[in-house]
Amino acid sequence: MKDKNIKMRSRRDFIKKMTAASIAASTTTIPVASFLSSCSTEVQKMAASADSVILLWMAGGMAHTETFDPKKYAPFEKGLETNSVLSTFPKHPTAVDGLEFSEGLQSIGNVMDKGAIIRSYKAADLGFILHTRHQFHWHTCYEPPQSVQAPHIGAWIAKELGPANPVIPPFISIGQRFTMGEAEELKAFHTAGFLGSEYGPFLIPDPSEGLDSVRPPKGMSLKRFEARYKLYKELANKSEVMEQASDYQRESLMRSMEQSYRLLNSPEAKVFDLSLEPKEKYDTYNTGRFGLGCLLAKRLAQNGGRFISVSTEYEPFLGWDTHANGHTRVKQMKKLIDRPVAQLIKDLDESGHLDRTLVILASEFSRDAIMEGRPGEEVRDQARRQPDKIEHIRHYGMHRHFTDGGSILLWGGGVKKGLVYGKTADERPCVSIEKPVVIDQVHQSIYHALGIDSQTHYNVESRPFYTTPDGKGKPILDLFGKEMKA
Amino acid sequence: MENTNWVLQFLGRLHPLFVHFPIGLLVVALLLEFLTIGGKRKGLREGINWMVYIGAGFAIFSALFGWFLKTQDDYSGDLVDNHQYTGIATAVLGLVTAIILKNSIKKAKLNLKAYRFMLFATVVLLTIAGHLGANLTHGEDYLTAILPGNKEVYSNKESGALLSELKGASELSELQKDKLSLEVRGLFAHKCYQCHSENKQKGELILEHKEGVFKGGKSGLAVVAGKPEESEIYKRIILPADNKKVMPTKGKLLTADEIALVKLWITEGAHWSDQAVKVFPEAPLKLVKPELPKVTEQTHPIDKIVSTYFDKNNVAWQSLVEDRKFIKRAYLDIVGLLPSPEAITTFVNDSNPKKRELLIDELLNDSENYTQHWLSFWNDLLRNDYSGTGFITKGRFQITNWLYNSLKNNKSYDQMISQLMNPDKSSEGFIKGIKWRGVVNSSQSTEMQAAQNIGQSLMGVNVKCASCHNSFVSNLTLDQAYGFASIFADEPLELNRCDKPIGKIAKVNFLYPELGSVEGKTLKERLLKLSEVMINKENGRLYRTITNRVWERLIGRGIIEPVDEMDNTPWNAELLDWIAADFIDSGTDLKHLIKRIMTSKAYQMPTVNYKKQEDLKKDYVFKGPVLRRLSAEQFSDAISQVVAPVYQAVAFNPNEEKMPAQRIWHHEKDLTNTVLPLPGKRYFRKVFQLSKKTIKNASVLISVDDAYTLFINGKRVGEGNDWTKVGKYDVTHLLHKGDNIIAVEGNNIGKIDNPASILFAMKVVFTDGKSFKLYSNETWKSTDRTPNKNWINLNFDTKKWKKVKNYGNSNWAKLLDFTFKEHEKTFARASLVKQHSFLKALGRPNREIVVSKREEQATLLQALELTNGAYFNGVLEKGAEKWLEKYGTDSGVIVDTLYQKLLGRHPSSDEQKILIASLGNQPNAEQLQDVIWSVLISPEFQFIN
Repeated sequence: MKDKNIKMRSRRDFIKKMTAASIAASTTTIPVASFLSSCSTEVQKMAASADSVILLWMAGGMAHTETFDPKKYAPFEKGLETNSVLSTFPKHPTAVDGLEFSEGLQSIGNVMDKGAIIRSYKAADLGFILHTRHQFHWHTCYEPPQSVQAPHIGAWIAKELGPANPVIPPFISIGQRFTMGEAEELKAFHTAGFLGSEYGPFLIPDPSEGLDSVRPPKGMSLKRFEARYKLYKELANKSEVMEQASDYQRESLMRSMEQSYRLLNSPEAKVFDLSLEPKEKYDTYNTGRFGLGCLLAKRLAQNGGRFISVSTEYEPFLGWDTHANGHTRVKQMKKLIDRPVAQLIKDLDESGHLDRTLVILASEFSRDAIMEGRPGEEVRDQARRQPDKIEHIRHYGMHRHFTDGGSILLWGGGVKKGLVYGKTADERPCVSIEKPVVIDQVHQSIYHALGIDSQTHYNVESRPFYTTPDGKGKPILDLFGKEMKA
Repeated sequence: MENTNWVLQFLGRLHPLFVHFPIGLLVVALLLEFLTIGGKRKGLREGINWMVYIGAGFAIFSALFGWFLKTQDDYSGDLVDNHQYTGIATAVLGLVTAIILKNSIKKAKLNLKAYRFMLFATVVLLTIAGHLGANLTHGEDYLTAILPGNKEVYSNKESGALLSELKGASELSELQKDKLSLEVRGLFAHKCYQCHSENKQKGELILEHKEGVFKGGKSGLAVVAGKPEESEIYKRIILPADNKKVMPTKGKLLTADEIALVKLWITEGAHWSDQAVKVFPEAPLKLVKPELPKVTEQTHPIDKIVSTYFDKNNVAWQSLVEDRKFIKRAYLDIVGLLPSPEAITTFVNDSNPKKRELLIDELLNDSENYTQHWLSFWNDLLRNDYSGTGFITKGRFQITNWLYNSLKNNKSYDQMISQLMNPDKSSEGFIKGIKWRGVVNSSQSTEMQAAQNIGQSLMGVNVKCASCHNSFVSNLTLDQAYGFASIFADEPLELNRCDKPIGKIAKVNFLYPELGSVEGKTLKERLLKLSEVMINKENGRLYRTITNRVWERLIGRGIIEPVDEMDNTPWNAELLDWIAADFIDSGTDLKHLIKRIMTSKAYQMPTVNYKKQEDLKKDYVFKGPVLRRLSAEQFSDAISQVVAPVYQAVAFNPNEEKMPAQRIWHHEKDLTNTVLPLPGKRYFRKVFQLSKKTIKNASVLISVDDAYTLFINGKRVGEGNDWTKVGKYDVTHLLHKGDNIIAVEGNNIGKIDNPASILFAMKVVFTDGKSFKLYSNETWKSTDRTPNKNWINLNFDTKKWKKVKNYGNSNWAKLLDFTFKEHEKTFARASLVKQHSFLKALGRPNREIVVSKREEQATLLQALELTNGAYFNGVLEKGAEKWLEKYGTDSGVIVDTLYQKLLGRHPSSDEQKILIASLGNQPNAEQLQDVIWSVLISPEFQFIN
């Protein structure tokens, strides 16, 4: 019963905080996309251990042996055999006994007593190891292409649970732009698909400009904004068309305008304003756009965000997509993530929100210096082959795509504290050797925490479409529960 | 879960068992009580009393256990709550009944009335509670699902009728044998396929086809012709319900008639008809033009049919919409644009009784605008787009050029279909599908995509289900889907069931084999045959499907819905068939089809308010058109027409002047990788030579993302900060023979790295008529270091400058204005624009899959885009300034002009008052912008009335 009480209390607090206006907006929601018939029956609602999710997305393929699952360290020297390099960084202890992280991630290591690590993630075999295909798969749980548009996990959650705070969009995606390489492939899964665009992502490519997306247009004073809305309402109410419009047409138009007006005019918009953070805190987070994204995610989670993703941003050959200079680039990436991720966990914990917020850090697949794909599977080479001997620092690192191992970090939302789940081999190939985890389980574990039934599905073109293919995925129940140790 | 207790949970789970005691006891008690009415059968008294006591006791236990079940197993929801309340109430009433009974016995004077009433009430509540409980366990449609009229339900009426027919006959005719065979197989389909099909082969038995039926399963021969007693099927269906081996194990047992039918079929030799069993309703393939009803009051054929329909359904004709509304509808429906105030006035004042038809003709003849409006409909339907997945690896092809010209030249639908089925390079994109790199699910191979898309878009049938396993929603089988897909395959396809190969090679076939063979040795041969089979006039589906789509587009609701499921029942089959047949008679002229519908009264009636969305789905009765929302493209184009261009650049420019100019920028790197350009200034140079001839004229085109200053031979030529605005300069007097230098200072604005580029073209014409052209390309040089002032001159050292990078034109749209030719276009039609966040928010789909119906509901994200979207706001800002320039600051004039242009009418005095009050006497750009916004967002503008 303890869990339920917490939930009740936080809900009550939350309602108290809401303005009268936002309550008005919450009681009448826009009708559900009409062609869908829900199949999740009422009786299947389960108890939830989390209300919100933050996904910290390491875009481009983060090598587990270079980050959260370090193996034997081989310091750089000319002539080093590529095959002898498993990790290019030394190990450091973390807050959990026996758990070691790679150098440069000590801050995250220090908050591992508040979370868990899966060390046996196995990405799918999709023939080609391609970032956007695997990202599509990670975020929708379906392999592309599909004959109906598969929804992003954030859209499923938005659809099933709705906004936690009526004026904050339930699915917010921070940090990813759709500019050049593979932009279309990225767009293909940043979508609510058949669930309807109502549940699609609210995109904030640059967190420092997040506020712009939730306040009146630049250069428009609040007074002017209000006057403009009043004028529109006055005209709309006089319109004879409104008499011919069906209830649902009228509803959906007027309601959506009203909701948007309320959002843009609401005190909650402040949540998006990073400049309201104390300078010191802002600086701690500010390692770049990703860091500020974590700060924004923190503010959102504390004020009723539902699903928030923060991406290091995928752009081919940039970010975690280290096809060369792996060691140097990973060092930069660690600087980008270490401080803000750790701070995010600490801040959420201090404010009491970590209990009900599931934070996940993951990547589409891992990397290795030698192997493309996984042992026993033939895949086309995507990354250039490494020379057998390392003659230059740019050869030093994990430059090939590896799918048979990988780390996922989890905090809060009912996740066991200090848990280490699964294991990879200590010698190459560093494959998952204990309790392998696939994406269906990851999704179902998230749904489980949120109280969304594993059989949730909709009929699309007369076919059932489940949250995970055929509704077969099962949550990893071992991830949840009391802490591991005193 | 820490808060569960296994004992309570166990007791809770006994609830479904326990509830049957009070049900049985109390119901029987009530029945017996009835028997005692009037003082009869006194002997029952004692028994009834005990039944009430025990029944009430069990009712209390049941309620208690039910509560355990609910709390321990985490049930929730309205249904559970209602069940809980009624259950508890039953227990309470039961107890009260028992107490009254007990008390009255004690007092030796039975308070019969009160007690009987209470008992009755208890049983009523018990029934309700029981029903709700059953809904919980069996599902709410458990009972209703078997009611007649439900599509998936098999009625055994036919088996009864057939049985009595056949029983009477001494010897069965071939026809009767066929009938019997089909009936029995229909029975199998409904009762047995769930477990014994290709999809799910329980006991290794498949009842879907002949081989399976006669091969039998694990338990032996299913059917032994002539000997029902030896046939496993018969042996199992006649077993009593409690026998473990009885079939079917799921669902209801077979009725006596059904069993008799199976027995008869086996006895008569288990004849197997070659005809296919149609389990699901299927629309007839053939199309016969119905005779028009003899209605004299109506002249238009559509109206004659609708008139009869109206009579039958008690719907009255409404008077047609006024001219103002009609012209707006006609413009938006044919060319996708708003009529100008002048056009409206001329039309309204025209006294020609045929003016509506003339207007329709005139608009249909405006081929360019007709094409640029209907292009969006076809792009959605044929999954054609300018950007999207697949293009990056040449796994996808556009058919834009072909489609544009097909519409512009009004190719017949037949011609379009045969060119899509048997394509050349320009139209192959449709059947080629989208090829993703890597391994894809076998139901998503490009061949299967072709089958699915042709099925959905052109034939209104769902092949998607059958491409994975025999369909659960139509009669299509996996065999058929693969047979169809094989037409497009280079090699024979192996069938995959749910992505697993089953060792069977598909036999090439069309979905509806009766239309003709599509077999052929080569791909080309098969495609040719397919192109002929598709437009075989026996293929009524093809014509009904497009007719229904166009009707839906113009009226707001199809004759069949959903428009992709053409096996559904039309609200008037005669109407659909007549229009489709008329379309064929016209030589499958799409413009004729549009005109035919638009000239009818059915189209010209006022819009009807169907209160709930449900009214448009189930039990729909046609009463007139439905209010439609402007599409993303219509909305954007209307703003471009009246306020300011929303787009200046297109993805497809039908009148493009081809130029090899490339979008270039400084090559920026991080370590060894190319990165997105960082914000800041970059410097570009190009030196070129002109021959000695005298220059007649020279002009320059330049577009820079984000900003530029252009110098030629050390002189400043111009600057700009909007890449969509092409800088056009006459540079005749700046050039001279010999070496010349172009220098551009480019500025990438923003806080973070983002795409940047220069696009440049120069044309020099000499007096002898010869010309020289120069374009931006990789021969230009650039630097990211601020150079000294001399950098714009010829004599400057560029040793440290680097070769520029070509960032590819595909990242930027084609500017209509980037041409040396004179041209009139003032804005880019939204249908030609690459998918953009503004259009997307307004409902333009990403065309990754066929989209035959766009989302109709306004959404929050859409409203946000309209309320504070930077892009939209920018357009309005420009528009307001333009308006002030053009129409001055007279508020009255502004408001009146705005209403005429956007809404096609003068404002009412009320509206005039409100808007003028908001504008004031001397309106500024901001005030005007807000007034324009309010009108654009108003429902009257957003809806096509």
